[in-house]
Amino acid sequence: MEHLGLSLALFGAALAAALAGIGSAIGIGVAGGAAAGVMTEDPNKFGSCLILQALPGTQGIYGLLIAFFVLNKLGLLGGAGAVALTWNQGLQILASCLPIAVVGWYSAIWQGKTSAASIQMISKKPEAMGKAIILPAMVETYAVLALLTSILMLMGVQVG
Amino acid sequence: MGVARLKKAELYYHKSVHEQIAASLQESGACQIISTSEESYAPPADVEALISTTDEKLSDIRYLTRTLTPHYVDPIPALDRMLGERPEVTMPELEELAAHTDLKAVCDSTRETERQTGDVRQKLSEARMNVSLLSALEFFPYSLSIITEGTRTVTGLVGTIKAANVSGFKAALGDFSKFKDDSELVIAPYDEKDQDVYAALIYSRSIESEIREVCAKQGLSIVEVPASFAGTPEEEREKYSAAITELEAKESELSQKMKDLAQANVPTVQKLSDYYNSLSRRYNGTAKSDVTECTMLTKFWIPADKADGLRAKIEAISTDIELVYSDPDPDEEPPSLLQNGDTVRPFNILTELYSSPTYRGIDPTPLLAPFFWVFFGMCLGDAGYALVVFGTILYVFRKYKKIAPGVKDFIRLFLFCSVSTFIYGVISGSFFGNFIDSFLPPLVPLKNALMLVDPMTNPMQVLGISLLLGVVHLMFGLLISAYDRLRHGEVIDAVGKDLSWFSFIVGLCLYGVGLGGMLPPHFVQIGQAMAIIGAVIIFIYAGKGEPNYFKKLINGFLALYGSTSYLGDILSYSRLLALGFGSAVIGMVINLLGGLAADIPYVGWLVAIVVIIGGHIFSIAINILGSFVHPLRLQYVEFFGKFYTGGGEPFTPLTLSQEYVNVKA
Repeated sequence: MEHLGLSLALFGAALAAALAGIGSAIGIGVAGGAAAGVMTEDPNKFGSCLILQALPGTQGIYGLLIAFFVLNKLGLLGGAGAVALTWNQGLQILASCLPIAVVGWYSAIWQGKTSAASIQMISKKPEAMGKAIILPAMVETYAVLALLTSILMLMGVQVG
Repeated sequence: MGVARLKKAELYYHKSVHEQIAASLQESGACQIISTSEESYAPPADVEALISTTDEKLSDIRYLTRTLTPHYVDPIPALDRMLGERPEVTMPELEELAAHTDLKAVCDSTRETERQTGDVRQKLSEARMNVSLLSALEFFPYSLSIITEGTRTVTGLVGTIKAANVSGFKAALGDFSKFKDDSELVIAPYDEKDQDVYAALIYSRSIESEIREVCAKQGLSIVEVPASFAGTPEEEREKYSAAITELEAKESELSQKMKDLAQANVPTVQKLSDYYNSLSRRYNGTAKSDVTECTMLTKFWIPADKADGLRAKIEAISTDIELVYSDPDPDEEPPSLLQNGDTVRPFNILTELYSSPTYRGIDPTPLLAPFFWVFFGMCLGDAGYALVVFGTILYVFRKYKKIAPGVKDFIRLFLFCSVSTFIYGVISGSFFGNFIDSFLPPLVPLKNALMLVDPMTNPMQVLGISLLLGVVHLMFGLLISAYDRLRHGEVIDAVGKDLSWFSFIVGLCLYGVGLGGMLPPHFVQIGQAMAIIGAVIIFIYAGKGEPNYFKKLINGFLALYGSTSYLGDILSYSRLLALGFGSAVIGMVINLLGGLAADIPYVGWLVAIVVIIGGHIFSIAINILGSFVHPLRLQYVEFFGKFYTGGGEPFTPLTLSQEYVNVKA
């Protein structure tokens, strides 16, 4: 049982990177479908479509960021060797990863749907690009807040 | 600064000069033509004729653009084109070009080539289908004319049957007594796994109906053999293969011809597209004029500072011209044009992306510019990234001298913001993430000496700064709103809706910060007093105009409950910390991966360089997107929500079309 703490912490890092990444992949996929549809009509919209499609991608990056944060905290990056963790500390780290894991997952999917709708919008009204970017960004707010929560929680957990 | 003052112009002139007049209005690029008030109004006949000839030309041009552009290789790279490296022409040159270009002829030869290509492609696909059918019929040892024509007594058919049914089919034919003498069955070599098997039957015409009956019963579906097949399948296939080679040669010849046509004509077509689009806009502008038998009246909006310049130009055209400028009537709603100095102008686009202000409204651009600048800096927040952005933009400005003004302003926005990014990068100690700590240890003392905040070890400090900036931003918005209301004489609303909340929230902040011991103690009392006064005003204002005292009470409490929305607004600014943190940590991760890669034997340094450079480029791209979008959201949702609704109609002057070339007047 001596490695339970480390395992729990790694489980948390895995959830953060995996769930947020899944969410982003779905979100970008949904938006990409809409973008491809719009581009069959007007290939010149590639630039604006790509920007809108990229918007739900940030959750995956936030998840990765938290995963690295955890790995760094555990001393698994570089040659230093893992720090000793009690199972309690491991559980704390796992808990800290949950906000970005869960919110990242769901918000990326919904942001992708909003992006897809925005892409439809610029196909009719290219001049509305500003509004089209802001609508998906409204969804992302909650991923940013979850990221912040995860970061602050992780910083609060004392290890080693 | 702000929304430009416009003049309403009424221009009376003789019909004979309407083309010159419209041309100089268009070339000035400063006049937005106002539609004539009468709805059932028809433009003068000659203008209508001009419009319809232009439309004809434009329809040819659209056809050519659509058909030829996919075959055209643009000698100007797309990026250069976007940055203004395009052919420069003048309107007289274009006129000359238009007069000497026979668009119809180009259209005809393009159409002919297109038609021939379609023709060849159709023949080609037929031939390919025949070849594949003939390959399938290779098992048939006789001349195919037996099947397609037959002799006087013998004919045949070809069909496909499921592999599993073949034995049943054979048996059924065996049972049919006349079969043995008068016919022959040939079946293609097949495998049990094959789906469909080709079978050919040759039989005496006398038993045709019986044979067909057996075939139908056993599930043999008859394949139509083209009547042109006369020889053996092999002979026929060779014939068609030769035809395919010939047709393919023809096709590539035609496609080369299309390319040549495109290469030769697209540059001209693009120039003419701008020319005829300019003309179309011009004539449609003229068509909005009022007209009598000999005179015309064109009304338009013009920025006040351009009015005199235009008058000089117009009056040079003819002496019989009357140009009257007047200020817009109070009940008129002129379009709005943002006019800001060099420092603020790049930020205009941020306002325009939301919605232009009304003519008499406030231009929020100078108000949002400093906040956007700071917020962007905090979100990207890396001195190294700032240097890359700054350097790239300077290089672009040095290399490309003809960038269109709108594009240039947009790029300049990022140039400005790279400065704030650099400053925040220095004070938060971020240079390509933790590049200095990882790879340049001698510089660490310098970095640490310049650091004022440390989001990595003390994020609460930066969170505090972010939220404080949020409070400042929101309160500034409330003050602007109050100012706007006072300007319109709505004193009670200004106090009840804006100043009360200002007093309440600033008071609460002072109170809280004072209790925390960060301010002298009397600030606690001041804060308390401000908060109470604010709350009382909010309470009373909400119940205003409600006769029922009970409802007054409820409305008052509901209004105070609205403070949660302010709480939400303020917390929204925590994204400044989160995004700045995000770019710093992504940078850190890249350096870390680079450091790990460096341990690979022999090629490690190379991999490390690729990882670090590629990684940071990716990081810059993704973080710029975030650093643009999120501060923008703070402007649009939190800041504009307090005072700005936009809703103005943007000023859209009559201009020359410059889609493909830079047109000079």
